[in-house]
Amino acid sequence: MDEKYAPHIEELTKALANVDRSKVEDEFNLLINYRVPISEAKRTILKKFRSLDSVTTDVKDLSIGDKGVSLETRILNISEKAVDLKGERTIIFSGVLADRSGLCPFTSWKQLALNAGDAVRISNASVKNWHNRAEVSISAYSEVILLDDSSLPDISELSVTPVKKLIDVGPSDLFLSSVAAIIDLYHRNVEVKGEDLTIIEGILADETGRLPFVSWSPLDGMDIGSMIRFKDASVRMYRGVPSIHLDSSTPVESVGADEDLSFDPLAVNKPPEPLPISNVLKAEGMFDVAVEGNIVSVRPGSGLITRCPVCNRVIIKNVCRSHGAVDGLQDMRVKLILDDGTGSVLVMLNRELSEIVYGKSLHESFSLLGKTMSMNAIFEDMKRVLTGRYLGVRGNTSRIEFGVTFVTKAAWVPESDIEERVPLLLKRLDGVE
Amino acid sequence: MVDREISYRMFAKELNDSSSTIHSTVDEAITSDGHTPNYLLTPGGVMVNRVFVTGVLTEVENVGSDVGTWRARVVDPSGAFTVYAGQYQSDAAIFLSSVEPPEYVSIVGKVRSYKPDDGPVVISLRPEEINIADEDARNRWILDTAELTLDRLDAFSKILLACGNIDSMDECMEGLGIAPVLSEGIGMAIRHYGVDESYLNDIRSVVKKCIISLDLLSEASDEKDIDTLVLELMNELDMGKGVDYAELLSVAVSRQLNERTVDSAVRSLLAKGQCYEPKAGILKLIS
Repeated sequence: MDEKYAPHIEELTKALANVDRSKVEDEFNLLINYRVPISEAKRTILKKFRSLDSVTTDVKDLSIGDKGVSLETRILNISEKAVDLKGERTIIFSGVLADRSGLCPFTSWKQLALNAGDAVRISNASVKNWHNRAEVSISAYSEVILLDDSSLPDISELSVTPVKKLIDVGPSDLFLSSVAAIIDLYHRNVEVKGEDLTIIEGILADETGRLPFVSWSPLDGMDIGSMIRFKDASVRMYRGVPSIHLDSSTPVESVGADEDLSFDPLAVNKPPEPLPISNVLKAEGMFDVAVEGNIVSVRPGSGLITRCPVCNRVIIKNVCRSHGAVDGLQDMRVKLILDDGTGSVLVMLNRELSEIVYGKSLHESFSLLGKTMSMNAIFEDMKRVLTGRYLGVRGNTSRIEFGVTFVTKAAWVPESDIEERVPLLLKRLDGVE
Repeated sequence: MVDREISYRMFAKELNDSSSTIHSTVDEAITSDGHTPNYLLTPGGVMVNRVFVTGVLTEVENVGSDVGTWRARVVDPSGAFTVYAGQYQSDAAIFLSSVEPPEYVSIVGKVRSYKPDDGPVVISLRPEEINIADEDARNRWILDTAELTLDRLDAFSKILLACGNIDSMDECMEGLGIAPVLSEGIGMAIRHYGVDESYLNDIRSVVKKCIISLDLLSEASDEKDIDTLVLELMNELDMGKGVDYAELLSVAVSRQLNERTVDSAVRSLLAKGQCYEPKAGILKLIS
């Protein structure tokens, strides 16, 4: 080891208190052998090891894409499976782990000598996407150590299905028990593995929120307006929104009118109250919420567009990426950013809503194009009509690469309630000169 | 993923009272894939990069040697935002070159600060979006801004009350249930500006003034009548170049109106943005 590197090693070891000095040294020498400049080498090492330093995360706070996370959890179940990995037979381990905050599936790519019920500390794991929810991925770089058994609640306590209000259901709930009202219900025919099935879809609501549900078995005697109690329903995630899955193994019973309920089944079917956008941003996805704000930007891609008649993709000059030259269908849409001073969401409006919000129909817009036939003219006009305006929207949100997107089911211009707000504000300012 | 910067709502007074900027460090630049926004720290504790304003555009002027640079003033009841649009805000520059002040406008703008060698920091906005608005939108903006400002001031007071001791402030703030980005800004505002309860109350009274400027509009009292009378009178006397204030007063007095009530009506009309002063002593209606 060259003496002149010693101060750098010293510095790195100090910065990475939990990492062994020899590890840092090895890594550093390796990089120096590749003639990486010292400053770069230090940066690389800091980045690589800093994650090992990280504090413990709660299972419910895991989000897809996290790297270098540390967890203190109990293994609820674990099984091994042989898979083909690049032509090689490899054993992987998968199962479910849990702490007080929730449950999460995991997969380990390295050998684990663990049993159901073990309490472990996992460090430097990453979080991958598995069926639209977080999954802890344990790789060769991760460390798994057994913890003192008393440091976590008992397995029987952790594996109890939680009873929750709908608003509290999140990606860390694999199973759920609750009481809710059915506010929408319809039958749908689907084909599963070549077999025709009739399934029930609908919406459940309680006083805190509403969520979609699917039932794979008939719900006898239940319809819109029924109150149901269900146990151990599985929760699946789609675009950050949980949906509740009932099947023949899920106990579902209807709740009598004489039972004490925390809410009025008739009152839950009201339209949702507008939320501050900052609240919507906290969730990966939300089902049937409303927000109000100002249109701070109308995004490119708004206006008149042409879609492929086969795949519905937006196409340019009647050429589709997958279907070649096609006879495109005219459509109109608005993509805008709505901001209420607490946060912003990207709002998508389909043709019907675009026509209402923009105030011109698809056909009227065409007449605006004139001889130039420049689609840009409509985009410019939309910007002029919409930028700065107030807009209220209701629909579902989901977090994507570029922020939170709002898929809109209804849109309106919020009431101007100046007369009611002024006295409330003055009351807040009581006593101010 | 980097979240889009919030378009904050704040009165011109709070923005223009700011002088401290926060630049991203190199470390942050590395961890956020080179996204390095700069922030202005307001005395109210907001780290602001973007604002949304609806106010009255009162002046537009072509400045500098560049042909395409425009400076504008957008007024709210607490003061004025200075807006610059140049070659990199070409849509806004085109808008400003053709708009006739006074006009209600909405602006989404990036906050810029400039510190001349001598003299105080100059705060301005670079518009990303600018559009015509209307009186209703302006009034609602004032209410939105008042609500959001009061929410922030309440959080600020809470922190001052609970964590007056500066040494342990950061840990103390964690338990108060205030959004981390706000409590961080408030902590910095206390350190940079020495903000105390008396400044917060100054801002509260600005907010109150702003709301009261609206309340007059909807109040069906004598005051409204005199406002309307003065408006009608100005409309009658204006031959296209505005109304001379002295002339307005003398005509009003000749019609048995009290000089002082007319004077206060004119001031309330100015505050509400229903008329403006293109030159000292000349009044013009907002058409």
